[in-house]
Amino acid sequence: MRMLPPMLLLLATGLEAAPRLVTLPGRSPLVSFRLVFLTGAASDPAGKEGLAALTAAMLAQGGTRRMSYQEILEALFPMAVSVSAQVDKEMTSFSAVTHRDNLEEFYRIFRAMLLEPGWRPEDLTRLRDDAVNFLRVSLRGNNDEELAKEVLYNEIYAGHPYGHHNLGKVSALQKLTLEDLRDFYARRFTQANLIIGLAGGYPEGFPERVRKDFARLPAGRSEPLKLPEPSRPGGLRVTLIEKETRSVAFSIGFPIPVRRGHPDYPALLVAQSYFGQHRMSGGRLYERMRQVRGLNYGDYAYIEYFPRGMFQFEPDPNLARRQQIFQIWIRPVEPATAHFSLRLALYELDRLVRLGLSQEEFERTRLFLTKYVNLLTRTKSAELGYAIDSLYYGIPDYNSYVKSALAKLTREEVNQAIRKHLAAADLRIVAVAKDCEDLRRRLLAGEPSPMRYNAPRPPEVLEEDKLVERFRLDLKPENVRIVPVGQIFE
Amino acid sequence: MRLLLAAWLCAMVTCSAGERKIFPYPYDERDFPNGLRLITIPTDYPNVVALYIVVGAGSRNEVEPGKSGFAHLFEHMMFRGTRQFPPARYEAVLKAAGAASNAYTTDDHTAYHTTFSKEDLETILAMEADRFQRLEYSAEDFRTEALAVLGEYNKNSANPVSKLYEVLRDTAFDRHPYKHTTMGFLKDIQDMPNQYDYSLQFFRRYYRPEYTTIILAGDLALAQARELVGKHWGAWQRGDYRAEIPAEPPPAGPRANHVNWPSPTLPWVIAAFRGPAYSDVETDQVALDLIAQLGFSESSELYRKLVIGEQKADVLEAENPDRVDPYLFAVWARVKKEADLDYVREEILGTLESFRAKPVEAERLERVKRHLRYRFALSLRDSEAVAATVARYVALRRTPETINRVYELYEKVTPAEIQAAARKYFVDSGRTIVTLAGGKSQ
Repeated sequence: MRMLPPMLLLLATGLEAAPRLVTLPGRSPLVSFRLVFLTGAASDPAGKEGLAALTAAMLAQGGTRRMSYQEILEALFPMAVSVSAQVDKEMTSFSAVTHRDNLEEFYRIFRAMLLEPGWRPEDLTRLRDDAVNFLRVSLRGNNDEELAKEVLYNEIYAGHPYGHHNLGKVSALQKLTLEDLRDFYARRFTQANLIIGLAGGYPEGFPERVRKDFARLPAGRSEPLKLPEPSRPGGLRVTLIEKETRSVAFSIGFPIPVRRGHPDYPALLVAQSYFGQHRMSGGRLYERMRQVRGLNYGDYAYIEYFPRGMFQFEPDPNLARRQQIFQIWIRPVEPATAHFSLRLALYELDRLVRLGLSQEEFERTRLFLTKYVNLLTRTKSAELGYAIDSLYYGIPDYNSYVKSALAKLTREEVNQAIRKHLAAADLRIVAVAKDCEDLRRRLLAGEPSPMRYNAPRPPEVLEEDKLVERFRLDLKPENVRIVPVGQIFE
Repeated sequence: MRLLLAAWLCAMVTCSAGERKIFPYPYDERDFPNGLRLITIPTDYPNVVALYIVVGAGSRNEVEPGKSGFAHLFEHMMFRGTRQFPPARYEAVLKAAGAASNAYTTDDHTAYHTTFSKEDLETILAMEADRFQRLEYSAEDFRTEALAVLGEYNKNSANPVSKLYEVLRDTAFDRHPYKHTTMGFLKDIQDMPNQYDYSLQFFRRYYRPEYTTIILAGDLALAQARELVGKHWGAWQRGDYRAEIPAEPPPAGPRANHVNWPSPTLPWVIAAFRGPAYSDVETDQVALDLIAQLGFSESSELYRKLVIGEQKADVLEAENPDRVDPYLFAVWARVKKEADLDYVREEILGTLESFRAKPVEAERLERVKRHLRYRFALSLRDSEAVAATVARYVALRRTPETINRVYELYEKVTPAEIQAAARKYFVDSGRTIVTLAGGKSQ
């Protein structure tokens, strides 16, 4: 089923004056800004991967026509405000929180950053270095877990506008020119693409003033991207990233047609929370892998893109996408238990698909989510971000949307959605490991991979281990690929 | 609630120094006969309550050889259940409360935190009281959890910053437990499964009311908080253990160390100096905090030079963490080319020397003070953040009042005091330099 997001429908029919405003006035002395442009890495032309991200970086971390970046930092410093840019496939957001004492002073600078960029060559050099170093060093070199996740996305979306990292490719970044950036800015940073979000204790009339200021941007037209439907691989596909590292990090997943607003979203939200609520100890995977067997630090599941999960407990808003994947995150395991751990994760996914949730598990997870959504939006800035995303997805405010859908949801609907959208034998697996040849050989040989424990285990665990250690991974040699880490993101 | 809000609106950021306290919330501090302290902070944020339980024991308390990382392992064990609330039931209760729950361990303290809907206050307080008083786990559970800690070490090990902290501390300290990180030495982590008996002793020593402070912030009433904590935590037995923390001998540097990182990464240089302990009375520590901002923040001259102008470094920052005992002031830089490591190190040392040589300009100092005030005001963005901030300070002085005192100190510090602190601490004998360089591409 192909659906045009309601937001894009709205844009196309021009029902509302652009740029649109989302406001959440309040009595707090803090004022939150979120300016979201409906453009991002999916709009990077082939050969210019990284264009959206580098353009956004030039606005948020570069000078304006009148001020150098250093002058901006010096001016913002006493207010303790920083402007951050986040670039995803279809959204580019600029956010900041200021105390209202400093609102005018901050807004004057912030406005100039977005409306009058300075396009200085020295800023481009610095920010290009930052992007390349992020990809090569921070991600590829220093963060095996995020590396596995991002490579999984790249593999699932190969040949698709989502098919490269949001920051781009090293070879493309190195060729981008100021002219490329200015051109992208002129075409994509338009009123038609802009949603202005404001929350907190701003004075009366302020939002209208901001809207008027940003009406200086070109009017533009909404041009929804053509996104092909990504397909499942039709079996298991494994990518092993060879790297000098202590342990083995896994990321597993496949595309799903479900996003906020889709009839099955609430059902899969329950399934995902039951199976592996992010950074919580109550999920099924966490319980079976870490709590019972001590395999690693944690194991979680997702139905929406959630970058930087190792650094935060709640997802950042403004990562709204038309297409999402179901993903399992297995935190690093000891090399000796890597094969068993992978089998256990897929065994549990298979079990989820076969058995679904019991009535008690369903009720418990539903109750949890009904209350937990309040925590997701407990800061004004987060509430604002969710409100913008809800506008994009064409749903009511996220809390009401989730709560009212959960109230009507049944266990059978959850289990049906699981059977319809999830599968344990048709997915992609990415692992970051040392000695990938050996891991590949073990995976292909399909021999049992028994667990050895440092303490006695209950008989039911040992019984289950006998099934897990032989859990069949149907792999052919051509479907298990080894990639040296130095080639990733290049 | 209107009064509360008015207090916040007129928080210190809008008023001149000394007229208002920086911590804008009225709070209640109550000591129970068993030594437990409760700090209650009603806030304006609706529906949600944040609970922080702070235990005044961290990796600083790991005084015996071979036991590094134990406070952190124990934090994990606290999730292994009691007779009344085995892990599955504990999780079920948290789920029913829609709660976000976790814990962390630092050098000086361990904190258990839960954020939940206000109607579940008693349920959560009762369940937490149960595990703090009646934790029970088997030797098998203990051995399994020790493996999860190894898993945590493993997931951290891909990042050279973890390794740099290990080497920096091991080089800079000889006797004090700050010599090891909170994760602990790898050899000790690998031996953890064999330490079941010691774990029981650790619980008996430190999980006691006199070591513990409960912080409740959010949509709640004082009387209700007092009554519920008294009801569920009042019978907890006081202990009598006091750890003898070995004092670090006077610095005998300068020292240096180098890490060869096995895979490609950007080089790092750290220039660290032995510093003072946290204090809300003496100016030394706050003076070094101000130097960290003056010399190395994004608005500093050195940042302008190394990061924005010459673009030789892409990370430059100074840290001066608050610790119970004297710790380290450290400047970290990530350098783009290995050949520039020496140059960047000399630039950092030169900047530190400049604070010794002459007093800072009053106007620059005022800008940093303003930054710190606003940074604090902006950090209190919800009840969870309020409780988390208070927890950090409670671990040092057991009262939110220390926040007001330390920010008053910031206001009072003079250029002459900053120069005096630089002269006292930025000396060769207290210096430790650690560098790291990556391997070749694969």
